[in-house]
Amino acid sequence: MKKIGTWANCAVLTLLLLLTLVPFYMLIVTSLKYRDQVIHEFWFPALPLHWSNYANAFVQLWPFLWNSILITAGIIICVLVNASLAGYAFARFSFWGKSLMYYLIIMLMMVPSFLILIPQFILFKNLGLINTYWAQIFGPMAGASAMATMLIRTFFEGLSTGVLEAAEVEGAGDGRIYLQIALPLSLPILSTVAVINALLGWNNYVWPLVVTSGDKVKPVILALSSVHGSLDQVQGLQFAGYVISSVPLLLLFLFATKSFVSGITAGAVKG
Amino acid sequence: MFKAAPSKSYPSVRMNPGDALRRRGWKHLKAYLFLAPILLSIGLFKYTPFVHAFVQSFYEWNGANVDRFIGLDNFTNLFQDQTFYASLKNIALFTGSFVVIQLTLPLLAAIGVFRLRQAGLQSFFKSMFVLPMVVPHIIVFLLWKWIYVGDGLLDRLLGALGLESWIHAWLGESGTALWSIVFINFPWVSGIYFLIYLAGLLAVPQELFEVGGMDGMNGLQRLWHIELPLIRSQLRLVLILAFIQQFQSFENVLVLTNGGPGFSTLTPALYLYKKGFEYNELGYASAIGVVVFVVLLLCTLAANRFIKPADQAE
Repeated sequence: MKKIGTWANCAVLTLLLLLTLVPFYMLIVTSLKYRDQVIHEFWFPALPLHWSNYANAFVQLWPFLWNSILITAGIIICVLVNASLAGYAFARFSFWGKSLMYYLIIMLMMVPSFLILIPQFILFKNLGLINTYWAQIFGPMAGASAMATMLIRTFFEGLSTGVLEAAEVEGAGDGRIYLQIALPLSLPILSTVAVINALLGWNNYVWPLVVTSGDKVKPVILALSSVHGSLDQVQGLQFAGYVISSVPLLLLFLFATKSFVSGITAGAVKG
Repeated sequence: MFKAAPSKSYPSVRMNPGDALRRRGWKHLKAYLFLAPILLSIGLFKYTPFVHAFVQSFYEWNGANVDRFIGLDNFTNLFQDQTFYASLKNIALFTGSFVVIQLTLPLLAAIGVFRLRQAGLQSFFKSMFVLPMVVPHIIVFLLWKWIYVGDGLLDRLLGALGLESWIHAWLGESGTALWSIVFINFPWVSGIYFLIYLAGLLAVPQELFEVGGMDGMNGLQRLWHIELPLIRSQLRLVLILAFIQQFQSFENVLVLTNGGPGFSTLTPALYLYKKGFEYNELGYASAIGVVVFVVLLLCTLAANRFIKPADQAE
């Protein structure tokens, strides 16, 4: 009886997994084909495998990949600076207006992005930041700092106060305590925040769509459909482009699985 | 950099009153120095546009030369706008189905993974279900567009199964476009909701399950009497998160159908986007944003009352 249950369980899971992965399997298979191969052999890999699709797509997408890397890195750095400083203030000081300030920051998570989309666009236009990296960094960074502050504050409050007080008695100022003690002890939460914002930055679509027009600062997500080639190759090229633009997050997943998983769930739980 | 204050730890040291006041003031100032970057960035980039959105909802505004106060006209027009009601109906369907979806198959998969005995197999399935999250959402949408396109994957599959009569222009007919968008990413397992359930299950003390096993419960009884009650707070969390996420997002519709054909897949957020950036009716778009924000806020507050017990259960 128990055996049958286990087998049924595995069978259901395998079925769900196969269905989940079919689109991605088709993505990879198709990315290695020319058009006539897609027509003659739709479901399975067809020889020869056209790895040149990847080379061509990469050459076309490289400037946009670089843009995305810069923008995402910018968002991560800004969020980490903002949120770790704020988290430190909330965890270590009691000051006038503390809870008001905290609510002002946390309440941002309730403000849907579409509500402020238009005035935000006008604001960046008036600041002369349309078509710059800064617009693409500052827009998402401000909102993302709210959740990060919450996560980092909670973590700082959990740090053993003994170490911090010892440092204080030794005569270390808050600047040094923050830089040399609080931050190094908080690497797990900082990397979780970094992963959340890597996903966010890489996935951003609507905001860059609104604030960029030329090719110069476009992120890779917006450039996917502009991958071009001969009619015979274009679909394979585009699909290769899809795969290429997923690779940075794949690397993040492979090298930081733990932070990746905690980033996804922490982002969900608090956001 | 920051003045060391050894006397802070020894309050018995005598200071004159002015000095104490300065010291207290410095402490508040120091806190605000630490807060300065975040307050500046959210004040400028979030709260300014937030207030601006409310103000402009009372204006006829095209973002350039027209900026005229018209009182409540935007709102009265909006409440008579059939397109807006159509978009509300669509978002109700998208959000409702998304919530139901996230409460079923991802839960099933999480329970399945949780029940696996071998740790190796368990982490294999977990990783494989998480792996698709590295693919940007937009690519998933583009991929599904390709699945639905004429003579695409879905049509070929139906053809191979001998169901040619079922073939449709999935995203091109108003009858199928709505449900085609609902079914994107079937079977909906990969992602945060699966991980939330699994994390909840893994946090349950193992003894509870051993007791259940000894009582000779079968799989279904175990699900109903042990697993589901224990992850009640996760279920409520998913309910609220899925609601908020789907209510706000319009990237899926933007990429797949751009609201069409006609208005059959339009959502309020996409309507705002189109009014703002295609028709240049920025004031009207702001009014849409305000109304939807109020609806969303009321729903969230209602849900928060409802979720209270779950927080205590944690």
